[in-house]
Amino acid sequence: MSENRYGGAGQPAGASTDTWSISPWSDTHPVPSGQVLRDQSIYTQLLEMMLHLRQTMSEHFVQLMSRQGLLQEQRHTEAIREQEALLDRLLCQMINLLQSGAMSGLELQVPLPSEDSRGDVRYGQGTQLSGQPDPVSQLSDCEAAFVSRDLSNRGIDISALYQSKSQGYNAYQKDKYHKDKNTLGFINLGTSENKLCIDLMTERLLESDMNCIEEGLLQYADWRGQPFLREEVARFLTYYCRAPAPLDPENVVVLNGCCSVFSVLAMVLCDPGEAFLIPTPFYGGFAFSSRLYAKVELIPVHLESTITAINTYPFQLTVDKLEEALLEARLEGKNIRGLVLTNPQNPLGDIYSPDSLMKYLEFAKRYDLHVIIDEIYMLSVFDESITFHSVLSMKSLPDRNRTHVIWGTSKDFGISGFRFGALYTHNKEVASAVSAFSFLHSISGIAQHKLCQLLQNTEWIDKVYLPTYRFRLRKAHKYVTAKLKSLEIPFHNRSSGLYVWINLKKYLDPCTFEEEQLLYRRFLDHKLLLSCGKAYMCKEPGWFRLVFADELPRLKLGMRRFCDVLEEQKQDLRVKQLKPPASQPASCSGTP
Amino acid sequence: MFALPQKNFRAPTTCLGPTCTQDMDRSHGDDLEGECSRKLDQKLPGVGDPVMLSSDTSYLSSRGRMIKWFWDLAEEGYRTYHMDEYDEDKNPSGIINLGTSENKLCFDLLSRRLSQSDMQWVEPSLLQYPDWRGHLFLREEVAKFLTFYCKSPVPLRPENVVVLNGGASLFSALATVLCEVGEAFLIPTPYYGAITQHVCLYGNVRLAYVYLDSEVTGLDTRPFQLTVEKLETALREAYSEGVRVKGLILINPQNPLGDVYSTEELQEYLVFAKRHKLHVIVDEVYMLSVFEESVGYHSVLSLERLPDPQRTHVMWATSKDFGMSGLRFATLYTENKDVATAVASLCRYHGLSGLVQYQMAQLLRDRDWINQVYLPENHARLKAAHTYVSEELRALGIPFLSRGAGFFIWVDLRKYLPKGTFEEEMLLWRRFLDNKVLLSFGKAFECKEPGWFRFVFSDQAHRLRLGMQRVRQVLTGKSQVAEDPHPSQTQKPSDQCSSAELLKLCFSPGPPSPIKQN
Repeated sequence: MSENRYGGAGQPAGASTDTWSISPWSDTHPVPSGQVLRDQSIYTQLLEMMLHLRQTMSEHFVQLMSRQGLLQEQRHTEAIREQEALLDRLLCQMINLLQSGAMSGLELQVPLPSEDSRGDVRYGQGTQLSGQPDPVSQLSDCEAAFVSRDLSNRGIDISALYQSKSQGYNAYQKDKYHKDKNTLGFINLGTSENKLCIDLMTERLLESDMNCIEEGLLQYADWRGQPFLREEVARFLTYYCRAPAPLDPENVVVLNGCCSVFSVLAMVLCDPGEAFLIPTPFYGGFAFSSRLYAKVELIPVHLESTITAINTYPFQLTVDKLEEALLEARLEGKNIRGLVLTNPQNPLGDIYSPDSLMKYLEFAKRYDLHVIIDEIYMLSVFDESITFHSVLSMKSLPDRNRTHVIWGTSKDFGISGFRFGALYTHNKEVASAVSAFSFLHSISGIAQHKLCQLLQNTEWIDKVYLPTYRFRLRKAHKYVTAKLKSLEIPFHNRSSGLYVWINLKKYLDPCTFEEEQLLYRRFLDHKLLLSCGKAYMCKEPGWFRLVFADELPRLKLGMRRFCDVLEEQKQDLRVKQLKPPASQPASCSGTP
Repeated sequence: MFALPQKNFRAPTTCLGPTCTQDMDRSHGDDLEGECSRKLDQKLPGVGDPVMLSSDTSYLSSRGRMIKWFWDLAEEGYRTYHMDEYDEDKNPSGIINLGTSENKLCFDLLSRRLSQSDMQWVEPSLLQYPDWRGHLFLREEVAKFLTFYCKSPVPLRPENVVVLNGGASLFSALATVLCEVGEAFLIPTPYYGAITQHVCLYGNVRLAYVYLDSEVTGLDTRPFQLTVEKLETALREAYSEGVRVKGLILINPQNPLGDVYSTEELQEYLVFAKRHKLHVIVDEVYMLSVFEESVGYHSVLSLERLPDPQRTHVMWATSKDFGMSGLRFATLYTENKDVATAVASLCRYHGLSGLVQYQMAQLLRDRDWINQVYLPENHARLKAAHTYVSEELRALGIPFLSRGAGFFIWVDLRKYLPKGTFEEEMLLWRRFLDNKVLLSFGKAFECKEPGWFRFVFSDQAHRLRLGMQRVRQVLTGKSQVAEDPHPSQTQKPSDQCSSAELLKLCFSPGPPSPIKQN
């Protein structure tokens, strides 16, 4: 179990380089063959070792200097410093070499206009967002070693982690499908973005009430969010979460996005190396957000797809599983500070019943755990027969001072570019601690005004927006699931969220995460971006998340490409199965 | 350099008792500077209460408790102002704020410009996940804008631009990607004190001070002059204390001095940095607020050749030059691709709304309005306000420094401090506040000499007049308020450290500091 974790964050932040590099994404890169994959994992390991070594040595020298600098002569100190500089330079060069090797192995081969793109794109593209046309020079010579020396170790790690995670997304950003201008561009069914109601939102945002320039909006304001916006958020959540009593604006903190809220909560609830429990599969952004600044570990509570005596439905979360994961982690010496839940769940689309929710909360209370509940999809439930129960709707929370709710407009209103996320917590201490970070995550006064106007207009939301949005979600979902059924692809049939969780195991032989990667790669080669299960820490290889909240023409084209890839994959499998089995990797665990 | 009592670092709780009030006041001044103008009317639990630092009663992690504690202290002090804010009609006897560096002179112009129809635009890409460096259209505009206004010899490139939600975020991101935990930037003092928090909160990076003083000695030609010699000394001292220095922060035009560096000076500092392989972060957030025509301002981007372009990183924002601190827009310009990429990797957490990005692009593009309407008017108003305040000060016989840039005057009130201590500085600051005028005191800028204050003059005439009148009352001993000796603050300030310094050290989650007590 432990090797599947976002391992090893149990050190102080200063020694955290290695924890950065064992990223959930370090092995999610598309690679052409098993051989390269093995090489890549050696590179990755070496890279980690070198980074660690560099950190250790620099610390050692700092200590050496501070101990002797005052006692001994200047000359001695200088000698040490020279020696250090030399070692540092050498190590940097080695890291760079390794990195360039690793990167070239990892490289997402962005298809270029030329047919034979694979040979051309060896470095670069994925590591540079800038579109600079000199990819090869980046990491190949002495100058390159010099360049990378400019970043701190954590700077290198942040960059590498981000780059590796967003290769597919960056490729999409550079080469988006457009119905007239770029018909061969990428279709993105990988990023969970609601593109179904842009027409409604555009219309709404252009109405005259949205445009307001007041002195207060242009000046420094309450960092927790303008009082008018926090009041509106409290009112909005009271209404849509069906809170038994009016929620208090003083318990609201607004920041520029839910990932910022989560990141800050991790900062103020945990010390470096402490951990949260989180059921898998889960939204990969949590892993990024908890590691980036806070250095907080996520301990997975692995859920399984098979239905058994304990599992009454696939990927069921039970208190037993929570207890087991908690105790196991504690045995390993982890300090678990909380539990992270997403409801409606991403990527499963599951909705927790009030009973289950209560059980999870009681479990948390029993062990003094905080519960962070991300309800960012709460209005994206598109089957009318299903009722979503927000944690804020509960008559009494088992531990209200440890229950923290996140919501934002990104998904439910399809405005991820707005950068708005809200925290609701009854705990004044937590609200105040989160506020201390808000000057680094603040929202423009002008945007705050627009958000306030948007949330205020309940009539428009109830009568125009939500019915249309849900109708369109339903339609898109129906279209995609019908396709999946016709392809006999099993999927997790739920009625919330912007995605379906699909099972492509039958296209993998052997059923490993390597093969999952290869399939992911194949989708990319066909200009289709999906998300694979590994990015959600799913324990079983072969799961993918397919986002359907896109306009029908793009969705149709995406599904056509999807079918093409699977057809091609099927054909390859047939050929492969005719070959002798000796060259196949034996393991099915998938994690290198 | 880091003259801190060891006990404060090892066990922060030990300084909570008697120094509480003092620290509160310190952070108070610091936070006025530090943009912390939050409007709170409700007392939060546990403010300044050491009990809250005990883990038994808290829901927070230890770093969370520490951060919150400092935040609350700042808040507690600041509440005084916000609970009694001046309003011409509603609260004419309220506090006038000449402490926060905000330009309140041009709201009429900005409001008109931002209300024009070209600002109201919505398109799908603005509502969706962006390129985290900032939308390309905005980065292109920023590059053109900086090329023009910084007089760059070559066109600046959009791919070297990264856009974030404010200068604080940018300092934070740069500190994180350039330094390891516990490493440091050199910074000449007095300086914009909030930078301490910006580089510390996430980055756990500290500042090593290059102390400047008001006395003109040696080769200096002006008070608080920064020289390479002083930089070298400070760097040497830092090294001898085991502090690893990664870079140098320059603010140009300087805050709070209003100094503008000449190209020769700038060149010397940059060469110094190159010699020691230091990064240079040049904060040019006041670059268009040079209102005295005789002052020749030179952006670092105007230099023909940068000594070390890969280690030179320039910051600019609209907060000051366009009087829009609430808009949250700042930009980095760096030729170093690795640095740009690393900062961009953090931008998911420091992004700004697509619609606002569009409006910023429209604003920066409108060269006619900027050159013919906004800048001339803004400069004229700044100049008038500056003239008024400096004449008031002259009439009072008070020395001050001001070179025609920025929103503030650096005022020498040392003659009002008989013993010349920071304690007296604090008492004087409090007397101003008691007489309903808020200023920033020198300690908040880590000024070495007690008795300096920063007066912000970029406010509407009626408020400015009233503010200066209240200042005059205090200085001429005619204030209405009885003098309060504030017995709680009789401790020697030298035993204490500013909240910023404590913050910097206390919640650092890294390994113990290599700094040794001596």
